[in-house]
Order: sequence, then C-alpha cells, then structure tokens
Amino acid sequence: MPPVIVAESLQKNWGATRALDGATFTVGSGVTGLLGANGSGKTTTLGLLLGMHNPDGGNLSVLGMDPRTQGSAIRGLVGYAPEHDALPPDVRAYEVVAHLAEVRGLPRREAAGRASDVLFELGLGEERLRPVGTMSTGQRQRVKLAQAIAHDPELVLLDEPTNGLDPVQREEMLRLVRRVAHEMGINVLLSSHLLEEVERIADDVVILDQGRTVASGSVIDLQRGEGPAELLVEVDDGARRLAKALTADGHDVTVVDASRLVVAFAGDATYDAVRDALAEEEIPVRRIARRRETLEDVFLAAGDAEPGAVAG
Amino acid sequence: MSEARIFEGGYRRYEGQRLGAAHATRAVWSHTLRRILGLGRPARSKVLPVLSIAIAYVPMVVFIGLAAFLPENIRDPLLPPYALTYTFITAAILLFVIFVAPEALCPDRRSGVLSLYLATPLTRTRYLAAKAAAVATALLLVTLGPPLLYLIGLALQGAGPDGFTNFMATLGRIVLAGVVLSGFYTGLSVGIASCTDRRAVAGAAVFFVPQAVNIALGIAVFALSAPEWLIGFSMNQGAIAFVLGLFGEDFGENDGGNGYVIPMAALACGVLLWTVSGGALAWWRYRRLQVTR
Repeated sequence: MPPVIVAESLQKNWGATRALDGATFTVGSGVTGLLGANGSGKTTTLGLLLGMHNPDGGNLSVLGMDPRTQGSAIRGLVGYAPEHDALPPDVRAYEVVAHLAEVRGLPRREAAGRASDVLFELGLGEERLRPVGTMSTGQRQRVKLAQAIAHDPELVLLDEPTNGLDPVQREEMLRLVRRVAHEMGINVLLSSHLLEEVERIADDVVILDQGRTVASGSVIDLQRGEGPAELLVEVDDGARRLAKALTADGHDVTVVDASRLVVAFAGDATYDAVRDALAEEEIPVRRIARRRETLEDVFLAAGDAEPGAVAG
Repeated sequence: MSEARIFEGGYRRYEGQRLGAAHATRAVWSHTLRRILGLGRPARSKVLPVLSIAIAYVPMVVFIGLAAFLPENIRDPLLPPYALTYTFITAAILLFVIFVAPEALCPDRRSGVLSLYLATPLTRTRYLAAKAAAVATALLLVTLGPPLLYLIGLALQGAGPDGFTNFMATLGRIVLAGVVLSGFYTGLSVGIASCTDRRAVAGAAVFFVPQAVNIALGIAVFALSAPEWLIGFSMNQGAIAFVLGLFGEDFGENDGGNGYVIPMAALACGVLLWTVSGGALAWWRYRRLQVTR
C-alpha cells in the first residue's frame, strides 16, 4: 500500500521564526501520532498537508498529490478537526456536519444522510439537533470529529482532539479515534503533545522537535527500545573534552551533562574509539553501557517536553 | 411470527461522486443566504430580515392596492413615479445592509469555523465570493424586488408604462438599478465587515462610515471650495442618486437656479470606486487573515 503522506526536508518560516526545519517522515495507513511539544511544528505541518500554506522548501505528497498545486483536491479527500473551537455555537450539530460534508463535495441529500449516520456512530444521535453552543466540551469535540469524517475522507487530521477533556471524555475520544481508523477504515494523523495518548492508540509515530523529525517508526518498536543503538558513557568529569575528541574522530556524540554523553553505536569499533579517547584524555570512567533509545527517551530529549505531558 | 428484522448497518463508505470547488461555493452561498434570512433558525433571527422586507414591500403593496381600487383620474396623481419608489425603500435597504454582511461574515471568523471552511476544497477567494454573492442576493430582495413588484402590479392594473417598449425600458432600468444598488452595498458592507469579527461593531460601522465620509465631503466642497462633483462620491447618497439618474432625475442643489447638478459620470465613478474598494479591502483582509499555523 503506498504511503499516505511523504514529507522530505520540509521547511516553513513564519517571519523570523522557523517552524519547520527539514522535517522528513512518511505516514502509512492506520493511526499515526504526530508528537511534539508546543511549538514543535505540528500545526504548521497539518496546514501544509492541507495546502493551506506552501512550504518554503522540501517536498510533500498527500494521497499521491502535491498540496502546492492540488490543494483543493486534497482537501476534498481529507478531513480536518482543528485544535481550537471551530463550530458555530448557534447552529445545530446536524446542520454543521451536513453543511461541511456538502462543502467537501458530497451532494446535499447524501451529506444530510451521512451527517446523521456519523453523529449516531459517534454517540450523538440524541443530541444531533441541539445547537453546538449548548453542548459539553466532550460533545463538541465529537461534533468536530463528526464533521471531519462525514464525507468519508481517505485521511483525517486531528489536532489535539482531547484538549480540554476530562479523563473519562478523553478515554472515550481516544476510543472513537481508534474506531475511525480500524472500523471505518479512515487513516488518522493525530497531532498531540501527550506521549501516553499516542502510545495508546497510534500504530506509528512521528516525533517533531523544533521543526525537525527526531524519530519516526512503529510505536511498538520504539516502545521495545528498538530505536537506534547507542553507548552511554559516564565519566567523573570531562564529558565535553571526551565528546570533542570523539567528534574529531568522526563519531556522532551528544553531551547529556558534565559527566554523561551518548555516542551513536556502530559496532565494536565504537567501544575501541571510546576506550582510546578515554586513555588519551586521561578521563576516569565510571560506566560504559550499550542501550537503545526508547520512545520516551526520544520524546524527553526532544526539547522542552513538559513532564506532565509525558505522564499524560 | 413477525417478519421484521434489525440489520446492523455499521459505517458505510461513500462510493458516489465527489463534487468540486464550484459545488462547495454554491453550498456556502445557499447556507449563508438561509442564515441571513433566518431560515431554519430561531424566531429572533427572523425579526430583522422580516422587518426590512416588510418596510420595503408594504408601500408598494399599498400603491398597487390604490391602483386597483381607485378610479384612474384619482389614482394617477397619487401613484409615485418609478424613480421615487427608491426613496420609499431607502430605509429598508439601510436596515438590511446593517445586518446582512456582518451576519454573513463575522460569525465565521469569531467562532473559528472559517478554519474549517478553508480546510475544504474552497480557497479564500472562493469563500469570499460565495459570501459576497449571498449578501448581494439577499440585498436584491430589497433593491430589486419592491420596484419590480410595483411595475408588475401597476402593469396588471393597466397603470404601467405605455406600450411594450416603454415597459421593457422601465424594466431594464429597474433591473439595472437593483443590481447597482445591491453591488454597491455589497462591496461597501463586505469591506467594512471584513475588518472586525463582531457583528455589532460591523453593523455600526456600516451605518457610521458613510456618514463620516459624507461629512468629510461636505467640508471639502462647502468649506474648502473643492469641486461640487465630489458630492457624487457620497457613500450614503451617491448610489441612490445614480439610480435616480437612471430614471432621468437630477441630483444636486437647485438654489434658485444658481445651484449645481452632480453629473452622472461623477455618480458612476463614486459607485464604482466604493464598490471596488470595499471588495478589494475584503479580499486583502481575507488574504492576510491567519486561520492556522
């Protein structure tokens, strides 16, 4: 099955702010989490996927089409639920969903029928004739989901769909999102800053940090720690000196703090290089451990992820 | 035993035709028009449209009634010429204009639903075109409908223009006048309403901005001796004056023969200027509007 989204070296600036800085990822079928702290470029990515803005650089393909030139066609096949409140408070839920399905290309009668069906599917059968403004936050989020899927899109983009929901409502929304993908057969790209949420419902994940992709792949693989292998080196002091020596020798090194650094593992030669550099710099070593990055490692390392966000 | 069965339908995929941007534009036009007229909405949403339409149509119905029931020698002096029907509907047009464009544009931005519209096959230009078309269509109800009703009503009573040619000429003027007034007030009100997402502010601005422009023009012409044709650029009188001109009525100050008459060219330029400027302002505002990052 061809990928749903292919992004290569995406760049986007908003004035002096660089929102996307070479993000590269592929999204397949099922639920994919687009994970990152606030300001990591998630919402900008969604805007580019819909062809609402043009990237300043890089290539992007959505459902095999280029959003720069085929934005209108893409938007007819993609559903979108933004993070913020986006529903008219004085209009009935059913009318909003039917109208937006019609605007997305369905004939009026078909749009009306599907609006009712989808609202029933999402548990809003009784409430569908109520004005949106009289609904609870959880119900409004479900109406937002309903309008995004009523025209039966190939792909739906959900921007922080659990924002403002209490734990019970969140649970229900996550269940619905999973149902959208696995029972209705609509591919989902779920943007979130909550690791736990993505881990629970996504099949794949793309992690953004400051506009760059820091990890992408299967959630299960990343949870098992099957990410890139690395050596964690702990020294008494002088991690930076050691890093400088290893970098000069051509190794990929990240300094964690004054006594710890992480070296990308490329076989036994990496052990030898670390040993030689320690001897040469006369740095006392405490521990050298081989490990694999986990999803949580990557997410925590990704800039300023909030502790609360990780805990969910 | 009953034959009834319940089938679990589940979610069904849509296999039918997907219509494009032109269909989306029509859908927004129709939805907006219904919203403006309060159709399918609570009774309070119908008050202003019904009131405006009543103000516009009641005088015409009264005149048609007079034409039907009074003898010819009494009715003819009582019936106003076609040009004067516009003076009867000016209040209705103004009332309609004050709430129509703000109702069409402001709630979408205030509630954030614009971001949903722009995530559909619609572009910003198409969205704005659909909204402007809905405003213009609604305005035609008060700029075209009443004079048209008056013409047809009188014609059916045998009190209309003499002969087919005169009837068609009058009909042409009425249609042109209705379209010009509708276009003018659409451009003006859409431009102003694009500057705020609050309906009340937009409505007040639609009322007061033309007054302010009028005062400025008055000062320029009467206090600073600017050319009199500048009065043709009045926002609240220029369009009606242009329409009166279509029916052969002059616009200006007689002042015992020492007054002035604003030439039709100046009136036409004023109408065109404000219509295009309003539309351009709205287009520029929506081009720049940031709905998502």
